[in-house]
Amino acid sequence: MSGATVGAPEQAAVSRGARKTILLVLQVLVALAAIIVVIGAATTEGFFSVHNLQAILASVGFVGIVAVGMTVIMISGSFVSLSLGTQAAVTAIFFVWALKFGVAQAIVMTVVVGTLLGAIQGYAIGGFGANPIVLTIAAVAVLEGLVVVFSSGGTQTPPDDSYTFLNSTIIGLPVTFFVMIFVVACGEFIMRRTRFGKSTYMVGDNRDAAYSAGFPMAAIGAGVFGLAGAAAAVAGIMLGAYNQGASLLLTGSLTYDAIAATLVGGTLVAGGKGSVWKTLVGAIVIATITDLLLLRGYSEGVQIMVKGLLVITVVIVVHLRSQGTRA
Amino acid sequence: MKRIRPILRRFAKNGGPYVILGAVIVAFVAVPFYSTETATDFNVYNALQSVSSLGLLSLAVGLSMIAGEFDLSTVGMYALGGMLAVKFGVDSPVIGVVAALAAGAVIGMVQGGIIAKLGISSVPVTLGGYIALLGLTSVISNGESIAYDNFSPGLWLEKEIFTYFSPRSLIMLGAFAIVAAVLYWTRIGRDLRAVGGDRRAARAAGVRTDRILVGTFMSTAMISALAGALLAYTLATAKPDPGGAPLVFAVTAALLGGVTLAGGKGTAMGIAAGAIALSLLQEIFVIVATPDYVSNLVLGGLLVVVVAFDAPNLRNQLIAVRTRMGRGPATTKTSLRLEREQE
Repeated sequence: MSGATVGAPEQAAVSRGARKTILLVLQVLVALAAIIVVIGAATTEGFFSVHNLQAILASVGFVGIVAVGMTVIMISGSFVSLSLGTQAAVTAIFFVWALKFGVAQAIVMTVVVGTLLGAIQGYAIGGFGANPIVLTIAAVAVLEGLVVVFSSGGTQTPPDDSYTFLNSTIIGLPVTFFVMIFVVACGEFIMRRTRFGKSTYMVGDNRDAAYSAGFPMAAIGAGVFGLAGAAAAVAGIMLGAYNQGASLLLTGSLTYDAIAATLVGGTLVAGGKGSVWKTLVGAIVIATITDLLLLRGYSEGVQIMVKGLLVITVVIVVHLRSQGTRA
Repeated sequence: MKRIRPILRRFAKNGGPYVILGAVIVAFVAVPFYSTETATDFNVYNALQSVSSLGLLSLAVGLSMIAGEFDLSTVGMYALGGMLAVKFGVDSPVIGVVAALAAGAVIGMVQGGIIAKLGISSVPVTLGGYIALLGLTSVISNGESIAYDNFSPGLWLEKEIFTYFSPRSLIMLGAFAIVAAVLYWTRIGRDLRAVGGDRRAARAAGVRTDRILVGTFMSTAMISALAGALLAYTLATAKPDPGGAPLVFAVTAALLGGVTLAGGKGTAMGIAAGAIALSLLQEIFVIVATPDYVSNLVLGGLLVVVVAFDAPNLRNQLIAVRTRMGRGPATTKTSLRLEREQE
């Protein structure tokens, strides 16, 4: 892992034929797993009820919003930010505090703060070539420390009920779900239709070439992480509203869930390939499996373990397929 | 003068960790001069105790970084190692440690095999591994902390030896010594750095890169498992999720210890110096009774500084700025000096 080119393609130690066999075996495994999930779903009482499907879509919300940011980062070739979950919690705390200025003002201020938090990290990563993983681990420690300095670490409670409309449901789905769809649409538009988005794909595809071609690496880094920070801030706003208060505990497993959704969505670890809406599919797949395991009475540990194994499998499949097209 | 210069240059390149350790020791001894407290023998003992587990984790993370990879699953293995030690060590603590080490060997071999044979970047693989291992730990423990009813191993591990040491810290130092000896006196050390520095060239030169990589990931997993087992026995409990703080410590210690994220650089002794310096620094915070969040903030800030200086382009940019300001052509020496000033 040299510097920022985290997923630089390495010459593999096994032959192409062997790789093809491994790929085939894994794809058969994934297909089998999919069949098991479908059979499991069919035989599980209550899985196909409207209520359960609503629950699955509702649970995708927070992770989906953060995962949009994670996807943009991964496409840019900076692999991941390990601080997005913490940023969501920090901006949730900020949002709840800022509610005293009015809801609309609080929302705008929170998104601005989130964008800045991300952009600062992205500037160091894009401009200096700082290692994204370690820098964002450090950012978590610094952000957590700063939160305690400013809010003494307790739970921030909202001053009034002006925000509760964010908790309402429309046709049985929480507002968060629709916000997520909006964020996904924005992400997809920015990545596909704007110059910034296209530059991001190019930087992710070949960082050295982009650097040599005079791409403004610092600006793109700041833009990518700023965008991710904004997404995390939106998630933070919804989290703060949903929990009617905010503390650092909101971080939970948000960061890793968002990474899992991005990887399961098929984003290429090395960057340059992937898309925001596929990440949404990844998030829904994970949420469906988790829901199924839950209905079947498996413990939380099993759910987490399955998620981890799924991530490894998909990473290998995506990697081998991308190598296949290159060779 | 001509003869001293190469030695000095080598020290400027590799002596950083020891300079940092020296500076922290001075700050440690000088505590009475800037606070009303004094550093006691017990504080030294305490710092060595806390570095016993975290230092091993730093060694694991550092080794993977020397190989040009990054093993995120170490913290997961740290949790699983502790849990297995407590579960299987009911009758004999040794069996618990052996179980933890065996699990580490198997998991390290699987991860290392995937990374080496398929040529995938280690970060996503070990990230999935980290999530899966935390899940597995939680499955074994039902998501709760598990108490270890046999207190005698914990008491033995904490026993004072020569005022400052304990069996636990001696085990840690022993592990560092073994790794250092292997890296210094055998081909493995050279091969490891070659694999981390330039993998293609290493392979062309005849290094069995995949063996080195699999071996590295087996070592990192086993060392992390040992660290977790020692911690669990000492606390007489195993926690299902250690949180993010151990990783912050481990990465900071490894980077302070002269390991670079680009790979190919670093020694076990350097990592030891970095880890001990960091834990002495934390102990200073304990002595002068700074609130936890301040010391966390300082640690995080320290990691930001260290990783920024590890970044390849920052140095180039500083050189460019100096050149533009008309201070003559900047050389690598200026950048070296800048780096040292910061330390």
